[in-house]
Amino acid sequence: MITEQQVKELLRNGGYIADETIATAVFLALRMEKPILIEGPPGVGKTGLAKTLSTVLDFPLVRLQCYEGIDEGKALYDWEYGKQLLYTQLLRTQLDSYLSESTDLRAAVERLSSEESLFFSRNFLVQRPILRSFLSTKRSLLLIDEIDRSGDEFEALLLECLSDFQVSVPELGVIGAEHKPLAILTSNGTRMISDALRRRCLYLYIGYPEFDREVTIVRTKFPELCEGLARQMVEFLRQVRELNLRKPPSVSETLDWAQVLSILHTKQLTPAVVANTVGVIAKHQADLKQVTDLALQIMA
Amino acid sequence: MERIITRFVTALRERGVRVSPGESLDAVQALAFGGLSGRDSVRALLKLTLVKNVNDMPAFDEVFDWFFSRSQCNPLDIDPGEFLSAMIHIVEGEQLKAEEYRTREKDDPLLIVDEEATAEDLENLLGLEESDDDGAGAEIMVQLDGFRGKMAAPEPSDYYLKSPPTVAFSQGANKGRVVPFTPEELADMQEVVSRMLVRIRKDVQRMKEMENRGKLHIIRTIQKNYRHGMVPFLLSLRRKRKEKPRLVVLCDVSYSVSHATRFMLLLLHTLQNRLMHVRSFIFNKELAEITPMLRNMPVNCLLETIDKGDIVNLDDNSDYGNVFKSFKERHLENMRGKPAIIIIGDGRNNYNEANDWALEAIREKAGYLLWLTPEERDIWQRGDCQLDLYGSYCDRVETARDVDELSRLVEDLFHTLFDHNDTRAWQHRRQERKVEEPQDYRTYYTRHSGAQPAFDPDVRRQW
Repeated sequence: MITEQQVKELLRNGGYIADETIATAVFLALRMEKPILIEGPPGVGKTGLAKTLSTVLDFPLVRLQCYEGIDEGKALYDWEYGKQLLYTQLLRTQLDSYLSESTDLRAAVERLSSEESLFFSRNFLVQRPILRSFLSTKRSLLLIDEIDRSGDEFEALLLECLSDFQVSVPELGVIGAEHKPLAILTSNGTRMISDALRRRCLYLYIGYPEFDREVTIVRTKFPELCEGLARQMVEFLRQVRELNLRKPPSVSETLDWAQVLSILHTKQLTPAVVANTVGVIAKHQADLKQVTDLALQIMA
Repeated sequence: MERIITRFVTALRERGVRVSPGESLDAVQALAFGGLSGRDSVRALLKLTLVKNVNDMPAFDEVFDWFFSRSQCNPLDIDPGEFLSAMIHIVEGEQLKAEEYRTREKDDPLLIVDEEATAEDLENLLGLEESDDDGAGAEIMVQLDGFRGKMAAPEPSDYYLKSPPTVAFSQGANKGRVVPFTPEELADMQEVVSRMLVRIRKDVQRMKEMENRGKLHIIRTIQKNYRHGMVPFLLSLRRKRKEKPRLVVLCDVSYSVSHATRFMLLLLHTLQNRLMHVRSFIFNKELAEITPMLRNMPVNCLLETIDKGDIVNLDDNSDYGNVFKSFKERHLENMRGKPAIIIIGDGRNNYNEANDWALEAIREKAGYLLWLTPEERDIWQRGDCQLDLYGSYCDRVETARDVDELSRLVEDLFHTLFDHNDTRAWQHRRQERKVEEPQDYRTYYTRHSGAQPAFDPDVRRQW
């Protein structure tokens, strides 16, 4: 059985630097077969964690991107009407002979309705992400991304799936999961998620990483960047985050910036360097000026 | 093991963190899996299973440190040195006060008569006895002829802030003026707002059913059924575009309404969480936008920040005129569509310029203007309160002091907004309203003197 330390190492091999809490959460989710609800600001690696996990654990990734108005037809299953229609057309001759045995219309209808289950069988069931991950031949990773964008109804729909790992299809009955997937839900916190859903999950908050971890993340992704610059960069970004910007830079911005700096072969941060590349870390017009001002203040 | 967890969960619940029995079972299971290898790992395991909200995390850490610490002898968590110095300051402060009292008693008469007072003023003073106004002394003085508007507004007293006990306590115990929200309060508010939103959503749905949604969208139906040989097997129906009301909230955070500020901020925060298009501003003398902060910060932190005066200077007097002016100049043009504007405050302008033309301009731009005040209606006429003047520009002026009153008001507001957005569907409802409204308004704004309101209700647009 996998241990916490192994989880951490696996993630590191996959290029994801996890701290103690993240590793523990993943370890527990694997052992307890419970979903993880990850909250945190955008760009700190919530989705990244799921992607990396799917690679390193070799669980096929099934991703469900939530949006306003998503429903069971998009998330669980749907009936393939077109295929049903096509089959009806193709089977017409067969049906004619089958129904010709019945004497009157009533008998024909009864006869046909006894075969109804033929058309509402798994043959015509389109598996949408959640059902697909339940019926996957090996244990999969179900990523339900940005759950906070969906509505309350959808959240309620998830309750059954996530606690019992089963889907109820009225025509077929309950379909249980063959292998319980490792479910990861992410949320940016734009809307409060209901307590009922929270109760079913382990709760993991990923905030901005600590200084050392962020430096390690940069160094892992961009080994060619020298240690001094990486530290200087991260230190600067930490101060930028305290500026009260409209969109504070997160880890993904750190990495973008590191990439830009390594392409430019930068050796050291100067106000000029910051001014030239500020668009990578600040994403609002009002923020740009604040960041450049801070650079002038600190580095001048 | 189970006993310890149960006791720990009880401690958490006492601190206001909501933990369900299922979660404590999870915690026990998690500990069994994860082992008890170290303090940090146990903390992580318990945190993952017991805490389901970011805002509860500090509380959890606190309880954890306290519960699993070796010395549990100092429950109040006060440094003895700090406590002693605070006590000394208090005693000193008492002495100061006593001294001041003695000197005053000796030198000054209790009542100081203004040398410049004229006979007319004295006559006015005599007249006061007969008036049935039971207001405070300072207010009566202001109401005397010729004084209104000329006298400088009283500044917030420095004495209280700088007195040794205050300073000692504010540093030693490190407590702000405003007590942070308890988790129960937050949960209550969340619940009320959720209930409210469910009700509103239902109404909106019913309304949508009445309009022409559900008609066949012919082009899209044909497109959709292309592969079935144009047999309309899958139907595509018309849907109305989803419209979310835009809301702008201006919230007064000055001393005069500080008792209501917490509650108002909580409302702002909750609204912000649940509705997409909200822009929030706070003001005292200056106006500041806090929309991004509300989105990113737990409400308690925000409260602390505001309380420290980091966003707007709290030592000034509130100045509604200035605020309306700067809101008009800086933000009004940037507002998209016709947002509903809610102003929360007591309308006490401290005898500054009223600038009601700015409010008029705001009202022109706004789809709906609602004023919420924490003060009772019968004290609106007193002192520097400009609510009568400002109120004449608003669609509604309401008193709101607790969550229930407020939820009712906001619900009303939403119905009004949707009413405005969908003109056809609610026509019959609106007609009913038209009949009763004018009458309603007159009684609403009739002042004590019996003067008619300064605006004509018939000219106003109906919302």
